[in-house]
Amino acid sequence: MTMRSRTGFCAVMSSRSSPGPPYDSPEPTGRTVAAREAHLLAPCEPSKVLAVGLNYRSHLDGRPLPDPPGIFIKLPTSIVGPGDPIVLPADAGNVHYEGELVIVIGRRAHEVSAAAAGEYVFGVTAGNDVSERDWQRDDLQWFRAKGCDTFGPIGPLIATDLDYGNLHLQTRVNGEVRQEQNTNDLVCGVDDIVSYISSYATLLPGDVIFTGTPGSTQALQNGDVVEVEIEGIGVLRNTVLRP
Amino acid sequence: MNGRKLMVAMTAVVTVLMGSVTYGAVAQEAVQRYVRYSYQGSTAYGVVRGEVIQQLDGPPYESRTATGVEVALADVALLAPAEPSKVIAVGLNYLSHLGSRPPSEYPGLFAKLPTSIIGPDAAIEIPPDAHNVHYEGELVVVIGKKARNVSPEEARDFVFGVTAGNDISERDWQGDDLQWFRAKASDTFGPIGPAIVTGLDYNDLHVQTRVNGELRQSESSSDLLFGVDEIVSYVSHYVTLLPGDLIFTGTPGSTQAMQPGDVVEIEVAGVGVLRNPVVRKGS
Repeated sequence: MTMRSRTGFCAVMSSRSSPGPPYDSPEPTGRTVAAREAHLLAPCEPSKVLAVGLNYRSHLDGRPLPDPPGIFIKLPTSIVGPGDPIVLPADAGNVHYEGELVIVIGRRAHEVSAAAAGEYVFGVTAGNDVSERDWQRDDLQWFRAKGCDTFGPIGPLIATDLDYGNLHLQTRVNGEVRQEQNTNDLVCGVDDIVSYISSYATLLPGDVIFTGTPGSTQALQNGDVVEVEIEGIGVLRNTVLRP
Repeated sequence: MNGRKLMVAMTAVVTVLMGSVTYGAVAQEAVQRYVRYSYQGSTAYGVVRGEVIQQLDGPPYESRTATGVEVALADVALLAPAEPSKVIAVGLNYLSHLGSRPPSEYPGLFAKLPTSIIGPDAAIEIPPDAHNVHYEGELVVVIGKKARNVSPEEARDFVFGVTAGNDISERDWQGDDLQWFRAKASDTFGPIGPAIVTGLDYNDLHVQTRVNGELRQSESSSDLLFGVDEIVSYVSHYVTLLPGDLIFTGTPGSTQAMQPGDVVEIEVAGVGVLRNPVVRKGS
């Protein structure tokens, strides 16, 4: 398991900080810091942020399953880490949480098969694909609905060697459970997603893919605390802020 | 201010700006041409002085310090002149491209990807399962400073310069897919170049597209429904723009499918010609 703090990238097991991202340079520097003393940041710095829409049957609500997978683009500037605020834009009136399993790419992936895709996945983390539903419905594309600053919390860490096809996912708002599902219910699984995207866009180390959200979602209010918890990864906790 | 009121206010601002015939003082800054290139196995940024490139120690939108190294323009291979962290684009931004669609009250934005960016002379690769891949000649804005919540009046200070771009688009996927990811952001679907040019009046630059020498698109950026300053301001209210980020401003007129073997040229007045051959991927 790896995490990023203000002082560097750390392997949690050894608490030794290393100078580069774990997907690029996993050699420890020899320096250590107590995990509880580090301020955690988003655990990676992606060059691109992709996401899958309508990827759990429980989230379809009458809509047809997308064929091919419904890939869309979020932005690197939307990424924030554990504890960072989700900032509601001044003119946003209907901003929803979306708890999701997030894939972190480990190697440059171009036209890889689903069978080989696992070799290109570095690990997984938890994510919140924050979405403005009115803009999502009305705008030409989902650019601002999905790509606003702070609309992509991820963390608290990247976990490797988990069975990402069978992880329990839960979203809580102010402690109340709002979403709950296992990643084995993903319509398009992690390996198929990585393979599909790589036939069009080359994936690079550190790139992240939000895999889709289950069930139904509701609008967030100023002061709400949203937690996305994934088995084996931990809890990603962010507070909603209307400036 | 609630969302609807702000929307009305922003629409009013946009209407006022669109109604005005003249824009503020422009082209105060000297015209400069910045390129990125490869020479003898290494890549660098530089500023063009006649037939010579003076090497810079970083991207021109971050650093403009000359290293003292010079190389002949004729001896280098030009690369995409920016390495953006984000590639943003505006849809339906010329009346001539709308067809029967109504104009939007605010810019219709979408995202392309850094991995879709290629430079002059690099091949546009048509994916094996793509059958309706169109050119879209466009003026492209290059951001020079971190921009967050800037007004249209301030926007000019955050624009480093402009280049030519081709917003390659697979029309069948654009019509059928949930979102435009592969229709707009496949690898090689974002040629830009040949140079970033500063000091131009980007509110009145002629954009032309030619396929195999035949003129296909021809219009001035003065016809943009949302001008450069309005676009930069609008985007920056939602998404922080960083130095080197690109905004494709929209394409005029109508477009057609390209075939392997075609050569597409986008010419922007003052910028030059962006020329790319079209190939079938994997061939």
